[in-house]
Amino acid sequence: MSEWAVELKDVGRTYQTNGLAVHALQGIQLQIKTGEFLAIAGPSGSGKTTLLNVIGGLDQSDSGEVWIAGHNFQALSRGTLARLRLQHIGFVFQAYNLIPVLTARENAEFTLLLQGVSEPQRRAKIDQLFAEIGLAGFEKRRPTQLSGGQQQRVAVARAMATEPALILADEPTANLDSATASALLDVMVQLNQTHSTTFIFSTHDPQIMDRARRLIRLRDGQIVSDEVRTE
Amino acid sequence: MTHGRLLFTLAWRNLWRYPRRTILTVLALGLGLAFLLFSLGLGDGSHEQMVANGIKLGGGHVVIQAEGYQRTRSQDLLLPSHLISTVDALLQPQHAPSPVHSISPRLLASGLLSSATNASGVGIVGVQPQAEHTVSLIPQRMIEGSYLGLYPEAYPNDEQASGLVIGAELAQKLKVRIGSKVVLMAQAVRVQPEADTKRTNGTNGAGGEIQNALFRVVGIFRTGLREVDAYLVHLSLPKTQTFLGAGDQITQIAIFLHQESASVPTADVLRQQFSPTGIEVLTWREALAELAQFVWLDDAFNYVMNGIILVMVALGVLNTMLMAVLERRYELGVCAALGLRPVQLLALVMYESLVLIILGLALGLALGLGVHSYFATYGLDIRLFTETDLAIAGTVFDPILYSSLSQARIIWAVSVVGALALLMAVYPGWKAARTELPGALRAM
Repeated sequence: MSEWAVELKDVGRTYQTNGLAVHALQGIQLQIKTGEFLAIAGPSGSGKTTLLNVIGGLDQSDSGEVWIAGHNFQALSRGTLARLRLQHIGFVFQAYNLIPVLTARENAEFTLLLQGVSEPQRRAKIDQLFAEIGLAGFEKRRPTQLSGGQQQRVAVARAMATEPALILADEPTANLDSATASALLDVMVQLNQTHSTTFIFSTHDPQIMDRARRLIRLRDGQIVSDEVRTE
Repeated sequence: MTHGRLLFTLAWRNLWRYPRRTILTVLALGLGLAFLLFSLGLGDGSHEQMVANGIKLGGGHVVIQAEGYQRTRSQDLLLPSHLISTVDALLQPQHAPSPVHSISPRLLASGLLSSATNASGVGIVGVQPQAEHTVSLIPQRMIEGSYLGLYPEAYPNDEQASGLVIGAELAQKLKVRIGSKVVLMAQAVRVQPEADTKRTNGTNGAGGEIQNALFRVVGIFRTGLREVDAYLVHLSLPKTQTFLGAGDQITQIAIFLHQESASVPTADVLRQQFSPTGIEVLTWREALAELAQFVWLDDAFNYVMNGIILVMVALGVLNTMLMAVLERRYELGVCAALGLRPVQLLALVMYESLVLIILGLALGLALGLGVHSYFATYGLDIRLFTETDLAIAGTVFDPILYSSLSQARIIWAVSVVGALALLMAVYPGWKAARTELPGALRAM
């Protein structure tokens, strides 16, 4: 087993747009340890989301190797990738992405259900997570009955529920006001410290960049800086 | 909650995100099935009535006659009358596949019936009145007089002994009434010496001469089938045998069963016994080929019409489910990102379709069986649409059509509608399973 939670070796990703080749990622070399709290920053079009998608197995690179929790994510079938994502990766998206017909509890336990975790275990896990992130009492509410910040917390709970090795958060605070964003970030920092879960953010948000312990900057699909900060 | 229950919960709740669309689709499915059951019920009911009447007018569910009679209609092709007891023994409950209602021997010939004012070609049918009256349509359709000595107390002078029964059209043509005298003329049959059942089509018997005899009209019937009402004459079998010089021979043995479905097995039992002996055993489908073909053709036409309606209903399901998938592309993308495998995305859509289909089928079954039950009890009076009797393919339509649906037919209809609708859901399901990442996550 590799010592890295994430290891990218010379990863490249090129899109064809209107007949033109767009090099979204070029020669990315990246190694991320378990428990890191890392932000990927850069201007729009720099390749942040593409990098996150490649790491999360939502997109496949054209070249290089992508190793996540000891698994090579290259050239796998959709079904296998889905299974690996379920086992090893949690996602927090910009637009909350809760399933509107499910309650907060059902949304949070969605991935646990897919893993076949028993009801008592699921209940205990969600109760614990909701208490940790300040959502106790909101379990039966539908997404439309929750504020943006609360919805994003449910999304974080869902991502954390299966205790994945890695949580990928794509602009998680983009739709939140600064106070709510700060509170959410507190929750994620706490979860990172409590559970040693690796967090990788793609962000423009200075708050996240400030609190990240490692900051990677991208430009034109290439890593231009990789800054590790001490507490 | 288990895996399957999660998908079912999602499916159920997703359906009610757009209740109007769901209700309309369920209604379309339900009405489609209800219409199919209504159509099948009336179709099967009318066919059953037509077939029952055709059987009553013809040679029963199974007819036994000399080989070649079906093709030539030669009145010289006869059977020995002792075959009746043989057939009776073969069809006793311990041997027969189904109980027999009645066995009716007949002697058939053609002739000329004359009155004081007119003459007409006729088909002579010599029958045993007691055997005939419960199974044949003609005794049931008497409009004047009575059927061949069934009520002898009405004829104290024994006029029935030389009586005959004719149709209303023929009576009108000959200008005769009950009690009128008529002369029947026919060629005597060429009788074979006794009981050579291997070759019954003898050609050099003593017959062949023109016979004539005086009869009295004792009954007039109206079946509604012009060819029957203007052509058939019923006489008692002994009188007919004497008149035609047929000895104790007969043309056919008509076997009437309680269930139409027993026709083929009963015929098979008889064929095993008679196959090498120059005797032909025919089911009503073979004896009344025109009627059987009409029923088949009418069924085929109904299937085409019902098929068109079902395709429209199925397209409704396709539209609903495809809309549901295309509208939720982003949501399906999220599910896929979280770890729902393609087969589970397919299952999610199929669950939704299945719930929709079950609701539609339940509604359709309730509506369809309700309508069927009404028309099975009260019937559909087609005199609302036509003033004349309907005669088709050598049989008559009763003016009131009753719906008839077998359990197998109901299961078939429900299965066809369900399977078709489910088939329509496969494409949207496949689209869901093919949800492209990360493209779907940008679709919001």
